[in-house]
Amino acid sequence: MEAASIPETPSAQPRRRFGDVLADNILWVLMLIALVIFFAKDPQQTLDDVKTGLSNGLIWALIALGYTLVYGIIELINFAHGEVFMIGSFVSVSIWQTLNITPDSAILPIIGSILIGLIVAMLASSTLNVMIERVAYKPLRTAPRLAPLITAIGMSFILQNVGLLWRPQPDSSPDLIGSQNDYFHVFGVAIEHSDVFAVIVTVPLLVGLLWFVGQTRYGKAMRATAQDPDAARLMGINVDRTISLTFLLGGLLAGAAGMIYALYNGTIQFNQGFTAGLIAFTAAVMGGIGNLKGAVVGGLIIGVIQSISDTHFGQVWTPAVVFAILILIMVFKPSGLFGEETREG
Amino acid sequence: MTALALGVAACGGGSDSGSSGGGGGGGGGRTSLTIYSSLPLQGDSRPQSEAVVNGEKMALEEAGGKVGNFTIKYVSLDDATAAAGKWDPGQTSSDARKAAQDASTIVYLGEFNSGASAISLPILNEAGVLQVSPSNTYVGLTRAEGADKGEPDKYYPSGKRTFGRVVPADHIQAAAQVTYQKDEGCKKTYILNDKEVYGKGLADQVASIAKTQGLAIAGNDGIDTKAANFRTLASKVKSSGADCMFFGGITQNKGVQVFTDVSAVNPDMKLFGPDGVAESPFTSKLKPSVQKMTYVTNPTLDPKLYPPAAQDFFAKYKEKFGKDPEPYAIYGYEAMKVALLAIQNAGDKGNDRQAVIDAFFKIKDRDSVLGKYSIDENGDTTLSDYGADRVQDGKLVFDKVIKAQTQG
Repeated sequence: MEAASIPETPSAQPRRRFGDVLADNILWVLMLIALVIFFAKDPQQTLDDVKTGLSNGLIWALIALGYTLVYGIIELINFAHGEVFMIGSFVSVSIWQTLNITPDSAILPIIGSILIGLIVAMLASSTLNVMIERVAYKPLRTAPRLAPLITAIGMSFILQNVGLLWRPQPDSSPDLIGSQNDYFHVFGVAIEHSDVFAVIVTVPLLVGLLWFVGQTRYGKAMRATAQDPDAARLMGINVDRTISLTFLLGGLLAGAAGMIYALYNGTIQFNQGFTAGLIAFTAAVMGGIGNLKGAVVGGLIIGVIQSISDTHFGQVWTPAVVFAILILIMVFKPSGLFGEETREG
Repeated sequence: MTALALGVAACGGGSDSGSSGGGGGGGGGRTSLTIYSSLPLQGDSRPQSEAVVNGEKMALEEAGGKVGNFTIKYVSLDDATAAAGKWDPGQTSSDARKAAQDASTIVYLGEFNSGASAISLPILNEAGVLQVSPSNTYVGLTRAEGADKGEPDKYYPSGKRTFGRVVPADHIQAAAQVTYQKDEGCKKTYILNDKEVYGKGLADQVASIAKTQGLAIAGNDGIDTKAANFRTLASKVKSSGADCMFFGGITQNKGVQVFTDVSAVNPDMKLFGPDGVAESPFTSKLKPSVQKMTYVTNPTLDPKLYPPAAQDFFAKYKEKFGKDPEPYAIYGYEAMKVALLAIQNAGDKGNDRQAVIDAFFKIKDRDSVLGKYSIDENGDTTLSDYGADRVQDGKLVFDKVIKAQTQG
């Protein structure tokens, strides 16, 4: 949570040796070297992979923020978060199906329905996330750590089954944005509609979130609660409401991610939240749990690793490659690339 | 009686389960027998599986629920779980155990997926129960050529064959695929597979037959069925210079996403799929532009090409259930028919599991709704015609019959 807090004034620290700096950044260096090697091998394909990875990574980043926000404030892994994202996808596709919007509709109704889909999906997911907190986590706030962990897993399964009842078969979303049509080319890399779309929707949300947490009174309350809930309460902060607000923000982003995912990939499935949740959670841990910037960068890095691994090691090995790198990062930097920002961290 | 003994043996370790071969004495009076069906009744496969169950029920009803003196009870089991959305290994093995431990079990119809049969088959084989699949096409279940090491023997721990099928196996389908691809002008095909027993098995068969038929293979990659999309893979397919793609896999393993993503990057590429995607949950979810480039091989043919008996079946099915049957309904119907015939041919020993198995493997030149066929020593049908289908308006449309060119 402290990610966006005012940076500490640099105090007189002992000068760091080059070796220390290298040791601190060795992972970055290694990843960069790997990227350069792949680039030398096949420049065009690597550029293409990086592009695909970054745009996939934006979706992971949005979901990862939900994990990291909640972990930062109550130190709980909200396992149901992936399912909240899935519900976002389902809600937006249902809206388009109800409105009977197809790729052949006129441009204005399409844009309108995408906006409606985005807003309703965000509202639905955030309401759901707040309700989950009320029902399954709030009563357990003073309970042993394991209790809310189990209720979180329980909520995840309940929602997955709701998704299964709602849409037992994989469904396709209407291709409203011409997802994989080329928009323009940069260095021979085709930038597709979906890439542009992901950036247009995601970047304002990320910037908005950073601003909200860093610059507003509510954000300050969130940061205070994250540091020390008791002290925050003594200072007159309504801790319960602040925690609800955190879940609300996480849900908003998950809903948006769900809508983007549906248009970006074109197919939705009741168990998509499980995999997406796992990847996003990994991204949050990789970047340093509780750290907003870390979650975003972690999401982007995982996206790129996935797509490069798809090309060079075969897709079958991709999950193994992603987690092998995660293990490396944890071993060398247990608090993640950007450092954990939790009460203890 | 033997069945009863087996039930007990199953608890005690099943060591003497193969002993029913002699069969002396027969059933000692058991006249009520059970035929189990095990199919994925949840997830995408549900419509197809329900149609198979309907077909099986129709066949049993036509026989009046009886064969000779034996009354046949039908029990439909589900090998899928809601969480998986498709067949599940644990559920499948629990189905097989349930049937194996029921002393009245005489035949087990299933599974729908080859990977699932690889799990239920050894259990039922040990119990000496005849298993007939309406839809399994994986070669390794019955044949050694083109299969993995140790197949098919590892599925038959009792050392005796107990499994048969009424669809042509994948060595026929793979040959039909290669023929179809060459007919459509493919020079170089990129193969993707879903890593399952069925999908990978078929992909490997296509790759090996393609070599003998002069079709180049640009690659044969497994996919991560949990991935969000396959865009990177699609661009890899493009840079390989392939002009066709073949997906060895099933709808439930992201079939639609694979076709959509590959087609987006390679709009002129012809996309081939096997019977694992020959169903409406796949075809109806493809974009029109992808539908145009999609080619599917399917053991089910144009209804008009089946013998007159089949036309009767189609008409009765529609009358009874108010809609046209899904492609595999007729195979469910025939699986039940041939199972009942085996019981009938076993005569007085129709309640003896081994006698029914022996009778099944002796079936020759049977005039069925699928045409005239025999069961060979592997348990395979001698039918070999494959259908080539296209997709129009989200539906499979029969294109032509392929006479598969199998080698040797």
